[in-house]
Amino acid sequence: MVLIRPRITDYHDILVSQSSVDFAIPLLDEDIPLYVDPFLLWKSPSQQDQALHTSLTNAFNRLSVLVKNGRKDDAIRDLVVASECSEVGLGYSRDRQGLRIGEGKASEILSLFEAIPEYGQNGFRHFEEIQLYIDGISRDRVSDICCSLLKSFLVDFTIDQCEMLGIPVDDAVLSTLYDYQQYSFRADQRVRLPVNPESGEPVIFVPKRWLRFAPWINFDDYFRDYCPRDDVFNPNEPQDRVKVLNYNRQNYGLVREYVDAKEREQEDCKADPLFTQIPVTSAKRKMSEIRKLPTGKTKKADRRYEDLASQLLASLLYPHLDFAEVQSRTDSGTLIRDLIFYNNRSVDFLDEICSEYGNRQLIMELKNVRAIKGEHVNQLNRYLAKGLGGFGVLVTRNQLPRAMRKNTLDLWSGQRKCIVTLTDEDLSLMVNAFESKQRPPIDVLKRSYVQFRRDCPG
Amino acid sequence: MKRAEVDTFEKLVGQLTSLYEELAVLSKKSPNDVINEFKLKIVNSLLAQANQFLGEKYVPFADFEVFDEDDVPRNSDVVLMLSQYLQCFEKYRADNIVPGVGGWHWPVDPEPGEETAKDGKVHIRTVAPKRLREK
Repeated sequence: MVLIRPRITDYHDILVSQSSVDFAIPLLDEDIPLYVDPFLLWKSPSQQDQALHTSLTNAFNRLSVLVKNGRKDDAIRDLVVASECSEVGLGYSRDRQGLRIGEGKASEILSLFEAIPEYGQNGFRHFEEIQLYIDGISRDRVSDICCSLLKSFLVDFTIDQCEMLGIPVDDAVLSTLYDYQQYSFRADQRVRLPVNPESGEPVIFVPKRWLRFAPWINFDDYFRDYCPRDDVFNPNEPQDRVKVLNYNRQNYGLVREYVDAKEREQEDCKADPLFTQIPVTSAKRKMSEIRKLPTGKTKKADRRYEDLASQLLASLLYPHLDFAEVQSRTDSGTLIRDLIFYNNRSVDFLDEICSEYGNRQLIMELKNVRAIKGEHVNQLNRYLAKGLGGFGVLVTRNQLPRAMRKNTLDLWSGQRKCIVTLTDEDLSLMVNAFESKQRPPIDVLKRSYVQFRRDCPG
Repeated sequence: MKRAEVDTFEKLVGQLTSLYEELAVLSKKSPNDVINEFKLKIVNSLLAQANQFLGEKYVPFADFEVFDEDDVPRNSDVVLMLSQYLQCFEKYRADNIVPGVGGWHWPVDPEPGEETAKDGKVHIRTVAPKRLREK
Protein backbone atom coordinates (compact mmCIF):
# COMPACT_ATOMS: atom_id res chain seq x y z
CA MET A 1 0.00 0.00 0.00
CA VAL A 2 1.40 3.37 -1.05
CA LEU A 3 0.93 6.28 1.33
CA ILE A 4 1.53 9.88 0.36
CA ARG A 5 2.92 12.11 3.12
CA PRO A 6 2.40 9.27 5.59
CA ARG A 7 1.65 9.86 9.26
CA ILE A 8 2.68 7.38 11.89
CA THR A 9 -0.93 6.45 12.67
CA ASP A 10 -1.81 5.76 9.04
CA TYR A 11 1.31 3.64 8.65
CA HIS A 12 0.12 1.40 11.47
CA ASP A 13 -3.45 1.30 10.17
CA ILE A 14 -4.70 3.32 13.12
CA LEU A 15 -7.12 5.61 11.42
CA VAL A 16 -7.79 8.56 13.69
CA SER A 17 -8.41 12.15 12.73
CA GLN A 18 -6.04 14.85 13.89
CA SER A 19 -8.91 16.62 15.61
CA SER A 20 -9.70 13.59 17.78
CA VAL A 21 -6.27 13.13 19.38
CA ASP A 22 -4.37 15.27 21.88
CA PHE A 23 -1.04 15.29 20.07
CA ALA A 24 0.17 16.45 16.70
CA ILE A 25 0.33 13.27 14.62
CA PRO A 26 3.95 13.04 13.40
CA LEU A 27 4.68 12.72 9.70
CA LEU A 28 7.19 10.02 8.79
CA ASP A 29 9.24 11.87 6.22
CA GLU A 30 9.00 15.52 7.20
CA ASP A 31 8.43 17.82 10.15
CA ILE A 32 5.20 19.41 11.35
CA PRO A 33 5.45 23.16 10.71
CA LEU A 34 4.65 24.20 14.29
CA TYR A 35 6.75 24.81 17.37
CA VAL A 36 6.44 24.31 21.12
CA ASP A 37 5.92 27.65 22.80
CA PRO A 38 6.99 27.54 26.46
CA PHE A 39 4.73 30.50 27.15
CA LEU A 40 1.72 28.24 26.54
CA LEU A 41 2.90 26.04 29.41
CA TRP A 42 3.38 29.07 31.64
CA LYS A 43 -0.09 30.46 30.97
CA SER A 44 -1.85 27.10 31.03
CA PRO A 45 -4.47 26.68 33.77
CA SER A 46 -3.18 23.13 34.25
CA GLN A 47 -0.93 22.68 37.25
CA GLN A 48 0.95 20.01 35.34
CA ASP A 49 1.86 22.39 32.52
CA GLN A 50 2.80 25.12 34.96
CA ALA A 51 5.00 22.70 36.88
CA LEU A 52 6.62 21.59 33.64
CA HIS A 53 7.35 25.22 32.81
CA THR A 54 8.94 25.64 36.23
CA SER A 55 11.12 22.55 35.67
CA LEU A 56 12.04 23.84 32.24
CA THR A 57 13.12 27.26 33.50
CA ASN A 58 14.92 25.69 36.46
CA ALA A 59 16.80 23.37 34.13
CA PHE A 60 17.78 26.28 31.91
CA ASN A 61 18.77 28.52 34.83
CA ARG A 62 20.81 25.67 36.25
CA LEU A 63 23.27 26.34 33.43
CA SER A 64 24.12 29.60 35.17
CA VAL A 65 25.07 27.68 38.33
CA LEU A 66 27.42 25.53 36.26
CA VAL A 67 29.02 28.68 34.84
CA LYS A 68 29.37 30.21 38.30
CA ASN A 69 30.95 27.00 39.63
CA GLY A 70 33.58 27.11 36.93
CA ARG A 71 32.00 24.34 34.87
CA LYS A 72 31.32 26.44 31.81
CA ASP A 73 32.39 23.61 29.49
CA ASP A 74 29.70 21.34 30.97
CA ALA A 75 27.14 24.12 30.60
CA ILE A 76 28.13 24.62 26.96
CA ARG A 77 27.95 20.90 26.29
CA ASP A 78 24.46 20.65 27.85
CA LEU A 79 23.17 23.62 25.92
CA VAL A 80 24.52 22.25 22.65
CA VAL A 81 22.85 18.90 23.36
CA ALA A 82 19.57 20.63 24.28
CA SER A 83 19.53 22.70 21.11
CA GLU A 84 18.18 19.95 18.86
CA CYS A 85 15.41 17.45 19.51
CA SER A 86 14.83 15.57 16.28
CA GLU A 87 12.53 12.95 17.85
CA VAL A 88 9.61 15.39 18.08
CA GLY A 89 9.71 16.30 14.38
CA LEU A 90 8.65 19.94 14.62
CA GLY A 91 9.76 22.67 12.25
CA TYR A 92 10.31 22.95 8.54
CA SER A 93 12.86 20.22 7.91
CA ARG A 94 12.00 17.97 4.96
CA ASP A 95 13.93 15.05 6.43
CA ARG A 96 13.27 15.33 10.18
CA GLN A 97 16.96 16.08 10.79
CA GLY A 98 18.18 19.35 12.29
CA LEU A 99 21.53 20.65 13.43
CA ARG A 100 22.67 21.56 16.90
CA ILE A 101 24.04 24.99 17.69
CA GLY A 102 27.80 25.41 17.84
CA GLU A 103 29.79 25.82 21.04
CA GLY A 104 30.38 29.48 20.20
CA LYS A 105 26.65 30.18 20.06
CA ALA A 106 26.12 28.25 23.30
CA SER A 107 28.83 30.28 24.97
CA GLU A 108 27.19 33.47 23.72
CA ILE A 109 23.87 32.41 25.27
CA LEU A 110 25.55 31.58 28.58
CA SER A 111 27.28 34.93 28.58
CA LEU A 112 23.85 36.50 29.21
CA PHE A 113 24.00 35.24 32.79
CA GLU A 114 27.16 37.32 33.26
CA ALA A 115 26.37 40.28 31.04
CA ILE A 116 22.91 40.98 32.48
CA PRO A 117 23.03 40.93 36.29
CA GLU A 118 19.29 40.28 36.65
CA TYR A 119 19.63 36.97 34.84
CA GLY A 120 22.77 36.13 36.80
CA GLN A 121 21.03 36.70 40.12
CA ASN A 122 17.42 35.61 39.48
CA GLY A 123 17.63 33.58 36.31
CA PHE A 124 15.15 33.71 33.42
CA ARG A 125 11.41 33.66 34.01
CA HIS A 126 10.86 32.91 30.32
CA PHE A 127 14.00 31.47 28.82
CA GLU A 128 12.73 32.30 25.30
CA GLU A 129 13.85 35.87 26.08
CA ILE A 130 17.26 34.74 24.73
CA GLN A 131 15.81 35.42 21.25
CA LEU A 132 15.94 39.11 22.12
CA TYR A 133 19.70 39.03 22.77
CA ILE A 134 21.26 36.39 20.56
CA ASP A 135 21.34 36.40 16.79
CA GLY A 136 20.32 33.12 15.17
CA ILE A 137 18.13 31.97 18.03
CA SER A 138 14.49 31.80 17.10
CA ARG A 139 11.36 29.66 17.37
CA ASP A 140 12.98 26.40 16.27
CA ARG A 141 15.74 26.60 18.88
CA VAL A 142 13.36 27.67 21.63
CA SER A 143 11.09 24.76 20.74
CA ASP A 144 13.95 22.26 20.59
CA ILE A 145 15.47 23.39 23.90
CA CYS A 146 12.02 23.12 25.46
CA CYS A 147 11.44 19.60 24.10
CA SER A 148 14.94 18.43 25.06
CA LEU A 149 14.55 19.57 28.66
CA LEU A 150 11.03 18.11 28.91
CA LYS A 151 11.83 14.96 26.97
CA SER A 152 11.27 12.68 29.94
CA PHE A 153 7.69 13.90 30.29
CA LEU A 154 7.14 13.72 26.55
CA VAL A 155 8.31 10.10 26.51
CA ASP A 156 5.69 9.22 29.15
CA PHE A 157 3.05 11.19 27.25
CA THR A 158 3.94 9.33 24.05
CA ILE A 159 3.75 5.92 25.73
CA ASP A 160 0.33 6.82 27.20
CA GLN A 161 -1.01 7.90 23.83
CA CYS A 162 0.39 4.80 22.13
CA GLU A 163 -1.29 2.54 24.67
CA MET A 164 -4.55 4.41 24.25
CA LEU A 165 -4.58 4.19 20.45
CA GLY A 166 -2.73 0.92 20.04
CA ILE A 167 0.26 2.39 18.23
CA PRO A 168 3.06 -0.21 18.34
CA VAL A 169 6.15 0.66 20.36
CA ASP A 170 9.58 -0.85 20.09
CA ASP A 171 12.89 -0.86 21.91
CA ALA A 172 14.59 2.38 21.03
CA VAL A 173 17.64 4.27 22.15
CA LEU A 174 17.37 7.97 22.90
CA SER A 175 20.76 9.52 22.32
CA THR A 176 20.11 12.03 25.11
CA LEU A 177 17.55 12.30 27.91
CA TYR A 178 17.49 15.12 30.45
CA ASP A 179 17.69 13.93 34.05
CA TYR A 180 15.99 16.48 36.28
CA GLN A 181 17.49 14.96 39.46
CA GLN A 182 21.04 15.35 38.22
CA TYR A 183 20.40 18.47 36.10
CA SER A 184 22.27 16.86 33.25
CA PHE A 185 21.78 14.80 30.13
CA ARG A 186 22.11 11.04 30.18
CA ALA A 187 23.34 9.39 27.03
CA ASP A 188 21.87 6.40 25.20
CA GLN A 189 18.77 5.71 27.24
CA ARG A 190 16.71 2.64 26.31
CA VAL A 191 12.98 3.28 26.18
CA ARG A 192 9.93 1.76 24.50
CA LEU A 193 8.75 4.23 21.91
CA PRO A 194 7.13 4.21 18.50
CA VAL A 195 9.76 4.05 15.80
CA ASN A 196 9.85 5.74 12.41
CA PRO A 197 9.66 2.72 10.07
CA GLU A 198 11.67 4.51 7.39
CA SER A 199 14.57 5.79 9.48
CA GLY A 200 14.36 3.47 12.49
CA GLU A 201 14.60 6.54 14.78
CA PRO A 202 12.36 6.88 17.86
CA VAL A 203 9.39 9.23 17.59
CA ILE A 204 8.07 11.41 20.41
CA PHE A 205 4.61 13.00 20.43
CA VAL A 206 3.96 16.58 21.53
CA PRO A 207 0.65 17.82 22.99
CA LYS A 208 -1.26 19.98 20.50
CA ARG A 209 -2.01 22.50 23.21
CA TRP A 210 1.66 23.53 23.34
CA LEU A 211 2.07 24.34 19.67
CA ARG A 212 2.23 27.69 17.91
CA PHE A 213 3.65 28.98 14.64
CA ALA A 214 5.76 31.47 16.54
CA PRO A 215 6.47 31.88 20.26
CA TRP A 216 4.35 34.45 22.09
CA ILE A 217 7.58 36.21 23.07
CA ASN A 218 9.60 36.64 19.89
CA PHE A 219 12.00 39.06 18.29
CA ASP A 220 9.81 40.11 15.34
CA ASP A 221 6.95 41.04 17.65
CA TYR A 222 9.31 42.94 19.94
CA PHE A 223 10.93 44.75 17.02
CA ARG A 224 7.59 45.68 15.44
CA ASP A 225 5.73 46.92 18.49
CA TYR A 226 8.10 47.60 21.39
CA CYS A 227 11.60 48.35 20.17
CA PRO A 228 12.46 52.08 20.50
CA ARG A 229 13.91 52.28 17.00
CA ASP A 230 14.63 56.01 17.26
CA ASP A 231 17.02 55.28 20.12
CA VAL A 232 18.62 52.24 18.50
CA PHE A 233 19.23 53.58 15.00
CA ASN A 234 20.49 56.84 13.68
CA PRO A 235 18.30 58.53 11.04
CA ASN A 236 18.53 56.71 7.68
CA GLU A 237 20.66 53.97 9.20
CA PRO A 238 19.85 50.43 7.98
CA GLN A 239 17.83 48.57 10.60
CA ASP A 240 20.29 45.90 11.57
CA ARG A 241 18.94 43.15 13.80
CA VAL A 242 22.25 42.65 15.63
CA LYS A 243 22.27 46.27 16.68
CA VAL A 244 18.89 45.80 18.34
CA LEU A 245 20.13 42.66 20.10
CA ASN A 246 23.16 44.52 21.44
CA TYR A 247 20.98 47.45 22.47
CA ASN A 248 18.75 45.05 24.43
CA ARG A 249 21.75 43.78 26.37
CA GLN A 250 22.39 47.30 27.56
CA ASN A 251 18.70 47.96 28.26
CA TYR A 252 17.34 45.04 30.23
CA GLY A 253 14.49 47.22 31.51
CA LEU A 254 13.04 47.45 28.01
CA VAL A 255 13.00 43.69 27.61
CA ARG A 256 11.48 43.37 31.07
CA GLU A 257 8.70 45.77 30.09
CA TYR A 258 8.07 43.86 26.87
CA VAL A 259 7.84 40.54 28.71
CA ASP A 260 5.58 42.07 31.36
CA ALA A 261 3.30 43.40 28.61
CA LYS A 262 3.18 39.97 26.97
CA GLU A 263 2.31 38.41 30.31
CA ARG A 264 -0.52 40.91 30.72
CA GLU A 265 -1.82 40.00 27.26
CA GLN A 266 -1.62 36.28 27.97
CA GLU A 267 -5.35 35.80 27.32
CA ASP A 268 -4.67 36.38 23.62
CA CYS A 269 -2.01 33.70 23.50
CA LYS A 270 -3.62 30.58 22.07
CA ALA A 271 -2.26 27.38 20.61
CA ASP A 272 -2.35 27.36 16.81
CA PRO A 273 -4.41 24.62 15.23
CA LEU A 274 -2.73 22.23 12.82
CA PHE A 275 -5.38 23.01 10.25
CA THR A 276 -7.72 25.98 10.04
CA GLN A 277 -10.86 25.92 7.96
CA ILE A 278 -11.48 28.89 5.72
CA PRO A 279 -14.40 31.08 6.86
CA VAL A 280 -17.83 30.65 5.29
CA THR A 281 -17.64 33.98 3.45
CA SER A 282 -14.35 32.96 1.89
CA ALA A 283 -15.79 29.58 0.90
CA LYS A 284 -18.75 31.30 -0.78
CA ARG A 285 -16.45 33.70 -2.58
CA LYS A 286 -14.30 30.86 -3.87
CA MET A 287 -17.37 28.96 -5.03
CA SER A 288 -18.67 31.97 -6.86
CA GLU A 289 -15.29 32.41 -8.57
CA ILE A 290 -15.28 28.75 -9.62
CA ARG A 291 -18.74 29.21 -11.14
CA LYS A 292 -17.46 32.08 -13.26
CA LEU A 293 -14.31 30.31 -14.46
CA PRO A 294 -14.28 29.04 -18.03
CA THR A 295 -13.37 25.41 -18.63
CA GLY A 296 -10.07 24.55 -20.24
CA LYS A 297 -6.82 26.46 -20.01
CA THR A 298 -7.95 29.91 -21.12
CA LYS A 299 -6.13 32.54 -19.05
CA LYS A 300 -4.79 29.76 -16.81
CA ALA A 301 -8.33 28.95 -15.68
CA ASP A 302 -7.28 25.34 -15.05
CA ARG A 303 -4.65 26.40 -12.55
CA ARG A 304 -7.05 28.79 -10.81
CA TYR A 305 -9.74 26.12 -10.68
CA GLU A 306 -7.29 23.68 -9.09
CA ASP A 307 -6.21 26.24 -6.49
CA LEU A 308 -9.75 27.20 -5.56
CA ALA A 309 -11.11 23.66 -5.50
CA SER A 310 -8.25 22.42 -3.35
CA GLN A 311 -8.65 25.22 -0.81
CA LEU A 312 -12.38 24.64 -0.71
CA LEU A 313 -12.31 20.88 -0.39
CA ALA A 314 -9.61 20.86 2.28
CA SER A 315 -11.86 23.01 4.46
CA LEU A 316 -15.22 21.54 3.53
CA LEU A 317 -14.20 17.97 4.28
CA TYR A 318 -12.50 18.79 7.59
CA PRO A 319 -12.59 17.23 10.20
CA HIS A 320 -13.92 14.05 8.56
CA LEU A 321 -10.98 13.93 6.18
CA ASP A 322 -7.59 15.36 7.16
CA PHE A 323 -5.97 17.07 4.23
CA ALA A 324 -2.56 15.62 3.38
CA GLU A 325 -1.33 17.62 0.39
CA VAL A 326 -1.78 18.82 -3.16
CA GLN A 327 0.29 16.61 -5.37
CA SER A 328 1.40 17.29 -8.92
CA ARG A 329 2.27 14.42 -11.21
CA THR A 330 2.64 13.82 -14.92
CA ASP A 331 0.81 11.12 -16.82
CA SER A 332 1.34 10.70 -20.58
CA GLY A 333 2.77 14.20 -20.78
CA THR A 334 -0.17 15.76 -18.94
CA LEU A 335 0.33 17.60 -15.67
CA ILE A 336 -2.23 16.37 -13.17
CA ARG A 337 -2.99 17.80 -9.78
CA ASP A 338 -4.47 15.63 -7.06
CA LEU A 339 -5.70 16.30 -3.58
CA ILE A 340 -4.72 13.67 -1.08
CA PHE A 341 -6.68 13.17 2.13
CA TYR A 342 -6.03 10.81 5.02
CA ASN A 343 -8.96 8.45 5.43
CA ASN A 344 -9.79 8.51 9.14
CA ARG A 345 -12.84 6.23 8.77
CA SER A 346 -14.69 8.78 10.85
CA VAL A 347 -18.03 8.15 9.10
CA ASP A 348 -19.63 4.92 7.89
CA PHE A 349 -19.07 5.75 4.25
CA LEU A 350 -15.33 6.31 4.76
CA ASP A 351 -15.14 3.08 6.69
CA GLU A 352 -16.67 1.29 3.70
CA ILE A 353 -14.22 2.97 1.32
CA CYS A 354 -11.38 1.67 3.47
CA SER A 355 -12.68 -1.86 3.97
CA GLU A 356 -14.08 -2.46 0.46
CA TYR A 357 -11.59 -0.57 -1.66
CA GLY A 358 -8.54 -0.54 0.61
CA ASN A 359 -8.28 3.27 0.62
CA ARG A 360 -6.23 4.50 3.55
CA GLN A 361 -6.00 7.76 1.67
CA LEU A 362 -8.45 9.41 -0.67
CA ILE A 363 -7.36 10.70 -4.05
CA MET A 364 -9.25 13.52 -5.75
CA GLU A 365 -8.15 14.44 -9.23
CA LEU A 366 -8.96 17.98 -10.36
CA LYS A 367 -10.14 18.46 -13.94
CA ASN A 368 -11.23 21.82 -15.27
CA VAL A 369 -12.77 20.41 -18.44
CA ARG A 370 -16.23 20.79 -19.95
CA ALA A 371 -16.67 17.06 -20.34
CA ILE A 372 -14.66 14.22 -18.87
CA LYS A 373 -13.18 11.94 -21.50
CA GLY A 374 -12.03 8.34 -21.42
CA GLU A 375 -8.39 9.36 -21.01
CA HIS A 376 -9.21 11.27 -17.81
CA VAL A 377 -10.90 8.26 -16.26
CA ASN A 378 -8.02 6.05 -17.38
CA GLN A 379 -5.43 8.42 -15.89
CA LEU A 380 -7.07 8.20 -12.49
CA ASN A 381 -7.58 4.47 -12.82
CA ARG A 382 -3.90 3.96 -13.67
CA TYR A 383 -2.90 6.03 -10.67
CA LEU A 384 -5.17 4.10 -8.34
CA ALA A 385 -3.59 0.90 -9.64
CA LYS A 386 -0.29 1.96 -8.08
CA GLY A 387 -1.56 0.83 -4.70
CA LEU A 388 -3.64 3.79 -3.57
CA GLY A 389 -6.86 1.81 -3.24
CA GLY A 390 -9.83 1.26 -5.49
CA PHE A 391 -11.75 4.46 -4.85
CA GLY A 392 -11.06 7.80 -6.50
CA VAL A 393 -12.86 11.08 -7.06
CA LEU A 394 -12.88 13.20 -10.21
CA VAL A 395 -13.51 16.81 -9.26
CA THR A 396 -14.78 18.41 -12.43
CA ARG A 397 -17.19 20.99 -13.74
CA ASN A 398 -20.13 19.01 -15.09
CA GLN A 399 -21.81 15.64 -14.77
CA LEU A 400 -20.13 12.78 -16.58
CA PRO A 401 -21.39 12.25 -20.11
CA ARG A 402 -23.47 9.07 -20.44
CA ALA A 403 -20.65 7.15 -22.14
CA MET A 404 -18.19 8.06 -19.39
CA ARG A 405 -20.69 7.14 -16.71
CA LYS A 406 -20.93 3.74 -18.36
CA ASN A 407 -17.13 3.62 -18.52
CA THR A 408 -16.86 4.10 -14.74
CA LEU A 409 -19.59 1.51 -14.12
CA ASP A 410 -17.70 -0.94 -16.34
CA LEU A 411 -14.58 -0.28 -14.28
CA TRP A 412 -16.52 -1.24 -11.20
CA SER A 413 -17.91 -4.37 -12.86
CA GLY A 414 -14.56 -5.48 -14.21
CA GLN A 415 -12.04 -4.33 -11.62
CA ARG A 416 -14.13 -3.25 -8.62
CA LYS A 417 -12.75 0.28 -9.00
CA CYS A 418 -15.06 3.05 -7.95
CA ILE A 419 -14.59 6.45 -9.59
CA VAL A 420 -17.17 9.04 -8.56
CA THR A 421 -17.45 12.70 -9.48
CA LEU A 422 -17.91 15.96 -7.65
CA THR A 423 -19.25 18.66 -9.94
CA ASP A 424 -19.78 22.40 -9.52
CA GLU A 425 -23.30 21.58 -8.36
CA ASP A 426 -21.96 19.25 -5.68
CA LEU A 427 -19.35 21.77 -4.55
CA SER A 428 -22.04 24.40 -4.33
CA LEU A 429 -24.21 22.09 -2.23
CA MET A 430 -21.22 21.41 0.00
CA VAL A 431 -20.67 25.13 0.49
CA ASN A 432 -24.37 25.50 1.36
CA ALA A 433 -24.09 22.72 3.91
CA PHE A 434 -20.89 24.30 5.25
CA GLU A 435 -22.71 27.58 5.70
CA SER A 436 -25.99 26.32 7.12
CA LYS A 437 -24.34 23.61 9.28
CA GLN A 438 -27.42 21.47 8.69
CA ARG A 439 -25.46 18.53 7.31
CA PRO A 440 -21.71 17.82 7.11
CA PRO A 441 -20.46 18.61 3.59
CA ILE A 442 -18.93 15.14 3.33
CA ASP A 443 -22.50 13.82 2.96
CA VAL A 444 -22.45 15.25 -0.56
CA LEU A 445 -19.46 13.05 -1.41
CA LYS A 446 -21.29 10.14 0.16
CA ARG A 447 -24.30 10.97 -2.01
CA SER A 448 -22.17 10.69 -5.15
CA TYR A 449 -20.90 7.33 -3.97
CA VAL A 450 -24.38 6.05 -3.06
CA GLN A 451 -25.76 7.16 -6.43
CA PHE A 452 -22.86 5.44 -8.17
CA ARG A 453 -23.47 2.20 -6.28
CA ARG A 454 -27.19 2.33 -7.10
CA ASP A 455 -26.30 2.41 -10.78
CA CYS A 456 -23.86 -0.47 -10.47
CA PRO A 457 -25.11 -3.74 -11.92
CA GLY A 458 -26.34 -6.39 -9.51
CA MET B 1 -65.59 5.07 6.81
CA LYS B 2 -64.70 4.87 10.48
CA ARG B 3 -64.36 7.62 13.03
CA ALA B 4 -60.75 6.56 13.76
CA GLU B 5 -59.85 7.19 10.12
CA VAL B 6 -61.15 10.74 10.34
CA ASP B 7 -59.11 11.23 13.52
CA THR B 8 -55.98 9.93 11.82
CA PHE B 9 -56.68 12.08 8.77
CA GLU B 10 -57.01 15.22 10.86
CA LYS B 11 -53.89 14.44 12.88
CA LEU B 12 -51.78 13.75 9.80
CA VAL B 13 -53.01 16.77 7.87
CA GLY B 14 -52.43 18.99 10.89
CA GLN B 15 -48.87 17.76 11.28
CA LEU B 16 -48.08 17.89 7.58
CA THR B 17 -49.48 21.40 7.33
CA SER B 18 -47.45 22.73 10.22
CA LEU B 19 -44.31 21.06 8.88
CA TYR B 20 -45.00 22.46 5.44
CA GLU B 21 -45.46 25.97 6.84
CA GLU B 22 -42.24 25.78 8.86
CA LEU B 23 -40.17 24.45 5.99
CA ALA B 24 -41.74 26.78 3.44
CA VAL B 25 -40.32 29.69 5.42
CA LEU B 26 -36.86 28.09 5.36
CA SER B 27 -37.22 27.23 1.72
CA LYS B 28 -38.15 30.78 0.77
CA LYS B 29 -35.07 32.05 2.57
CA SER B 30 -32.64 29.48 1.22
CA PRO B 31 -34.18 26.90 -1.08
CA ASN B 32 -30.84 25.20 -1.78
CA ASP B 33 -29.87 24.61 1.82
CA VAL B 34 -29.73 20.98 2.76
CA ILE B 35 -32.17 19.83 5.40
CA ASN B 36 -30.71 18.35 8.54
CA GLU B 37 -31.05 14.72 9.55
CA PHE B 38 -33.33 15.42 12.52
CA LYS B 39 -35.90 17.27 10.43
CA LEU B 40 -35.62 14.69 7.70
CA LYS B 41 -36.38 11.86 10.12
CA ILE B 42 -39.54 13.66 11.23
CA VAL B 43 -40.58 14.32 7.65
CA ASN B 44 -39.95 10.71 6.68
CA SER B 45 -41.87 9.36 9.65
CA LEU B 46 -44.87 11.50 8.71
CA LEU B 47 -44.63 10.58 5.05
CA ALA B 48 -44.56 6.88 5.94
CA GLN B 49 -47.78 7.27 7.96
CA ALA B 50 -49.30 9.33 5.15
CA ASN B 51 -48.45 6.64 2.57
CA GLN B 52 -50.10 4.01 4.71
CA PHE B 53 -53.21 6.13 5.14
CA LEU B 54 -53.57 7.27 1.53
CA GLY B 55 -52.94 3.89 -0.05
CA GLU B 56 -52.04 3.31 -3.68
CA LYS B 57 -54.99 5.29 -4.96
CA TYR B 58 -54.13 8.59 -3.34
CA VAL B 59 -50.33 8.70 -2.87
CA PRO B 60 -48.89 11.49 -5.03
CA PHE B 61 -46.23 9.42 -6.83
CA ALA B 62 -46.11 5.67 -7.12
CA ASP B 63 -42.29 5.58 -7.11
CA PHE B 64 -41.77 7.85 -4.11
CA GLU B 65 -42.10 6.68 -0.53
CA VAL B 66 -39.79 8.69 1.71
CA PHE B 67 -36.60 10.74 1.31
CA ASP B 68 -33.30 8.92 1.35
CA GLU B 69 -30.93 10.62 3.80
CA ASP B 70 -28.03 9.75 1.53
CA ASP B 71 -29.54 11.85 -1.27
CA VAL B 72 -29.00 14.99 0.83
CA PRO B 73 -32.39 16.58 -0.01
CA ARG B 74 -32.73 20.36 0.09
CA ASN B 75 -35.40 22.47 1.73
CA SER B 76 -37.19 23.09 -1.56
CA ASP B 77 -37.34 19.35 -2.34
CA VAL B 78 -39.06 18.63 0.94
CA VAL B 79 -41.48 21.54 0.63
CA LEU B 80 -42.41 20.45 -2.87
CA MET B 81 -43.19 16.93 -1.71
CA LEU B 82 -45.12 18.04 1.37
CA SER B 83 -47.32 20.26 -0.76
CA GLN B 84 -48.03 17.29 -3.05
CA TYR B 85 -49.08 15.20 -0.07
CA LEU B 86 -51.31 17.96 1.26
CA GLN B 87 -53.05 18.16 -2.10
CA CYS B 88 -53.59 14.42 -2.12
CA PHE B 89 -55.03 14.51 1.39
CA GLU B 90 -57.41 17.21 0.24
CA LYS B 91 -58.42 15.08 -2.72
CA TYR B 92 -59.05 12.20 -0.32
CA ARG B 93 -61.21 14.44 1.82
CA ALA B 94 -63.13 15.86 -1.12
CA ASP B 95 -63.93 12.33 -2.26
CA ASN B 96 -65.14 11.25 1.15
CA ILE B 97 -67.21 14.13 2.49
CA VAL B 98 -70.80 14.98 1.69
CA PRO B 99 -72.83 18.20 1.75
CA GLY B 100 -75.44 18.31 4.44
CA VAL B 101 -77.40 20.61 6.69
CA GLY B 102 -75.21 23.55 7.67
CA GLY B 103 -72.15 22.52 5.66
CA TRP B 104 -70.01 19.55 4.73
CA HIS B 105 -69.67 16.33 6.72
CA TRP B 106 -67.70 13.12 7.03
CA PRO B 107 -70.25 10.30 7.05
CA VAL B 108 -68.83 7.70 9.46
CA ASP B 109 -70.08 4.36 10.76
CA PRO B 110 -72.04 4.81 13.99
CA GLU B 111 -70.86 3.33 17.23
CA PRO B 112 -73.39 1.45 19.40
CA GLY B 113 -76.02 3.81 20.84
CA GLU B 114 -75.06 6.73 18.61
CA GLU B 115 -77.76 8.75 16.89
CA THR B 116 -77.55 8.51 13.12
CA ALA B 117 -78.74 10.62 10.19
CA LYS B 118 -81.19 9.44 7.54
CA ASP B 119 -78.41 7.66 5.62
CA GLY B 120 -77.59 5.57 8.71
CA LYS B 121 -74.26 7.36 9.26
CA VAL B 122 -72.99 9.70 11.91
CA HIS B 123 -72.02 13.05 10.38
CA ILE B 124 -68.88 14.89 11.54
CA ARG B 125 -68.68 18.48 10.37
CA THR B 126 -65.82 19.61 8.22
CA VAL B 127 -65.03 22.51 5.92
CA ALA B 128 -66.00 22.58 2.28
CA PRO B 129 -63.60 21.10 -0.23
CA LYS B 130 -60.99 23.68 -1.09
CA ARG B 131 -61.61 23.38 -4.82
CA LEU B 132 -65.34 22.84 -4.90
CA ARG B 133 -66.50 21.40 -8.17
CA GLU B 134 -69.81 20.03 -9.35
CA LYS B 135 -69.62 16.23 -9.30
